[in-house]
Amino acid sequence: MSYERRGGYRRRHRDDYDDRRREVHETPEQKLKGAILKLGEVDAIEELPRLERQIRDHVPINIPNVSEAFRIGVTEQPYKIPYYAALIRLLHDRSEDATDIKGLTLGRQILEDFWKGFQTYLDKLAWRETRLCIHFFAHLVVAKLVSAESMFALLQSFTAVLDEFGVSHGRAKRAALCAGEGLIIGGPSLKDSSPTNVIDIINAIQSFNDTILSSQWLVQPTIKIYSDVVSIENGDELLDSLLKTLRALNDEDFTETSNSFPQPYTSYPEIDPATSPPFDLPSVLVPPEIIELDGLAADSEEEAQVKKEEWPEYFLRLFDNDISPNPNMPAGYAVRSALLDILNIFEVNRKECARLLLEYPKWTPPGTFKPKPGAPNEAEPIVGKDWQLESTIIETILGAFLILPESSHKSIYYIGLITELCKLSPSTVGPAVGKSIRRLYGSLSEGLDVEVARRFAEWFAVHMSNFGFQWVWKEWVPDLALAVQHPRRAFMRRALEFEIRLSYHDRILKTLPEAMQAPDAFTIPEQAPGPDFEYDDPSRPHHDAAQSVLNLFRGRAKADDVISHLDTLKTNLETSEEGHINVDAIVRSIAVQSLLHIGSRSFSHLLNAIERYLPLLRNVASGGVSSAGGSGNAEAKAGILTAAAAFWKYNRQMVGIVFDKLMQYQIVDPTDVVGWTFLNGSTIGQLSELAAPLSLSAFEWDLMRGALDKANGRVMIARRKVTALRKEDDDTRARVKASTNDNSMEVDADKLDETPVVDNPALTTALKAFTSLTREQKAALSRTLEGFVASLAPSATDSNPNPHSRTVITEKAWQNRASWGKDEWNAWETWGWYRQFCRAYSPYLRNYSTTLWTVSFAKFEGSTDPAINLLKKTWNVATGQDA
Amino acid sequence: MAHIVSPLDQPSNYKDSQTRVDRQKQNEMLTKSTTLYIGNLSFYTTEEQIYELFTKCASPEDGGGIKRIIMGLDRNTRTPCGFCFVEYYTHSEALASMRYVSGTKLDERIIRCDLDLGYKEGRQFGRGKSGGQVRDEHRQDYDPGRGGWGAQAQRMEIERRREVEERYADAQDGPGAVAGGGGDWKEAEGATGDGKLKRGRSPEDEGDNARMGHRTRLDEDLDAERM
Repeated sequence: MSYERRGGYRRRHRDDYDDRRREVHETPEQKLKGAILKLGEVDAIEELPRLERQIRDHVPINIPNVSEAFRIGVTEQPYKIPYYAALIRLLHDRSEDATDIKGLTLGRQILEDFWKGFQTYLDKLAWRETRLCIHFFAHLVVAKLVSAESMFALLQSFTAVLDEFGVSHGRAKRAALCAGEGLIIGGPSLKDSSPTNVIDIINAIQSFNDTILSSQWLVQPTIKIYSDVVSIENGDELLDSLLKTLRALNDEDFTETSNSFPQPYTSYPEIDPATSPPFDLPSVLVPPEIIELDGLAADSEEEAQVKKEEWPEYFLRLFDNDISPNPNMPAGYAVRSALLDILNIFEVNRKECARLLLEYPKWTPPGTFKPKPGAPNEAEPIVGKDWQLESTIIETILGAFLILPESSHKSIYYIGLITELCKLSPSTVGPAVGKSIRRLYGSLSEGLDVEVARRFAEWFAVHMSNFGFQWVWKEWVPDLALAVQHPRRAFMRRALEFEIRLSYHDRILKTLPEAMQAPDAFTIPEQAPGPDFEYDDPSRPHHDAAQSVLNLFRGRAKADDVISHLDTLKTNLETSEEGHINVDAIVRSIAVQSLLHIGSRSFSHLLNAIERYLPLLRNVASGGVSSAGGSGNAEAKAGILTAAAAFWKYNRQMVGIVFDKLMQYQIVDPTDVVGWTFLNGSTIGQLSELAAPLSLSAFEWDLMRGALDKANGRVMIARRKVTALRKEDDDTRARVKASTNDNSMEVDADKLDETPVVDNPALTTALKAFTSLTREQKAALSRTLEGFVASLAPSATDSNPNPHSRTVITEKAWQNRASWGKDEWNAWETWGWYRQFCRAYSPYLRNYSTTLWTVSFAKFEGSTDPAINLLKKTWNVATGQDA
Repeated sequence: MAHIVSPLDQPSNYKDSQTRVDRQKQNEMLTKSTTLYIGNLSFYTTEEQIYELFTKCASPEDGGGIKRIIMGLDRNTRTPCGFCFVEYYTHSEALASMRYVSGTKLDERIIRCDLDLGYKEGRQFGRGKSGGQVRDEHRQDYDPGRGGWGAQAQRMEIERRREVEERYADAQDGPGAVAGGGGDWKEAEGATGDGKLKRGRSPEDEGDNARMGHRTRLDEDLDAERM
């Protein structure tokens, strides 16, 4: 159905329903508020005097109502802030109306009330709202409605945060942005007032930024394993950009501010400080972070409070400065931070967000962006600006999406937003997306971080799934000459695997040129992903045994009956096979594969099979010892995972799903999955070419991530449960106490308090669960670290070590990467995942840093092995012991 | 945070005609719901495809994940009939799907998500006369996105969708996408279902909005051989 026809349908319905449309009753106050929020729908400058009139004509004036509208306008439509500042400026004109109270102009009254709202944001530590209000005040400083001195004091209370003892990176970063952006916008007046104060603020931010160099090293989007120096060509760190912008502005006495931000208020007559003295912002204190004390720490290492955003933020650059703005220059910084604010504020509605992003140029000084094709060209292009809107938007979204260790929203938000942009304006956004993909793909061979590459493949697949899988693969055919594990080839494989998961094999195969379809191209599997039941073929060993188990499952036999049948099988095998084979392993494999076979038709079939035969699975996991309870037998659990991976070796999505559900039903533990993955992960997958010595590629990382997230998620749930039960308990106790006190006023109160409190059994159970889940979490993290250490700094006695894990970390080796083969790239990627493990799980690792260090690193005391040193250094940076 | 635009994670006005709880209770349940109704699926879309897309809204580190998927089946043929339920462990994951996934494509059809009261045995079957979903029958007075007979309640929903749709409609025109990036939804639709693909497509591919026309039952018959 075409869009034209849809239009027809719409018209039909408008006729039907127009007369029945519900009347919306708005009070005059709501109408006024709406008018303020809608400022600028056509032309803000023209609308301003009209809106001023409307506010003045509203009798009786309700100041809180108007100032609330300003607050919402400023914090939810930051691109309109200059115009709200202009509106306040207009309302500062004295009038004959009765709106001035106690000699205060209407504008002044609104501003004073607005301040109260700002104070509330600050008290709640609503950082974005706080920062946007500071933007507003900064514009008012330039408009001479707020005094420069009080503005300095405000900004200084934010730079004071940077000096707090033990300030978290997240808090300091946000405070620095508040102070720095206030200075960028208010600079013209602020520098007039006190050049030294300006320098002080810049220096305060600079000295904080100098303390985080090692953190920057760990989260830059291009890996240069060999180098300590943080310098990359294709990305900019947020605070670095802020500082460069501030210095550039200060060098020119903030004349660039007016070219970077609209200042509509400057066209109005200057306010006379004699009749209208500027507003002095009251002094504030940035409140400390609220620390949740739920008292859940039996021993201090167990308190895993999870805090995010502890890292510097690197934004990838994909285009040159003449295509998209340089964020290190004032105008570029203004554009990028405005786009980021829109991106974050309108996360609740990606469709509106896309529309607002494409409308953004109307809020910028003329000449900032190239005019739309076909639009009347009013503004002269400005040298050094005249950027491409769509490229700028896509670059900014991808920049935010690819931040390490993780983006602030889910990947799928950024992906969906780009999809909406493409739908709104396919002819302009499409090419920008295509160019971005090519840039990212190109940088894969320049050391693009492995996690960035993983997200890139994810975006690529979902995007293509929304646009008919129309990618011109032909242009990458020459890269088939690269090593099979080269990042570009790994990307192609991964992207296609993801596409197939969202679609189906034949469909995706047809989108590829012949050269890529060939089996020896190792790009796409020959056949559709499916199960591989080892015992299916009658000529295979144990076929009959497997059939007998399968028949029991098909007949929905009871778990106990299956268990006793397995015991019989075992006895038979033991007698017939002369004992030199591992009978336990064979029976385990037969049982697990047969069960998966029953559940192989769909995800639901799998769940049903697992749920019906949980007792059987528990029995198998315990190594055949019935009702062993506890956490089973490590070898048996590894065997279950091996059987599952073998069964689904042609469908890696299913391997992930089965592992997840086995953990969900506590057949295996996350630690088992982590351990298994390090030892066996690289052998799964249809491309036997890729089987490698001990190493980790993106697929194994996904398995491991699934296990770690499961372990962490369980602790989170248990923690919540304990907290809820404690609260319930406290409430009950308080009630009991209150009623007892009421009833027996005369009784000695002390006596009552000593009444032994009966512990809530639910709470006891929950606490027990919490303790054991925390132990499991620690074990999983510890096992991961051990696995990485063993992979990256293998000792000569380890089985199947990668010979290149030590060589790829030198600069010489990196420069010579054109000659790298499979093992080198595998080793390099494993280093990349180690970095991601350390930075992504650092909030958890910090909590156990002493124990984990002892387990994995203590034995290397005094080692001069460069691989060991790099492992330790990365660990120290991630756990904050490097500062 | 939603004074300027309305969030996409609001439930629709669909009312389950066979539920026994009153409207207020239903609304209350929806504010905690972990279940989504997914509509406008291709009859050929598998649970694993659904899993792959919806797992992108999961928050395992927060104790979440996909709990189960229930395919909507034709009451008579027991074959998929274009809808399913996805149940998460947490409410916020369901909301994320509403915000990020609803209105995007899966298996080259624009799918639609709606918060749901939660799956009850029996709801996996289409309630239409033919065995499929009511929305696939020759009717005008039903919720355009979701089945159900409550014509009264549908008017508001139609109106809401019309307004939203209108906002984006004017921007839909324009030349086809350049190969290599965006791509064009209109063209993509036309390209499928022409018999060249291994799996056929349902004839209607117009999207998550008004599904006013009828849907031929042909696909359903084809389905039988697959199951």
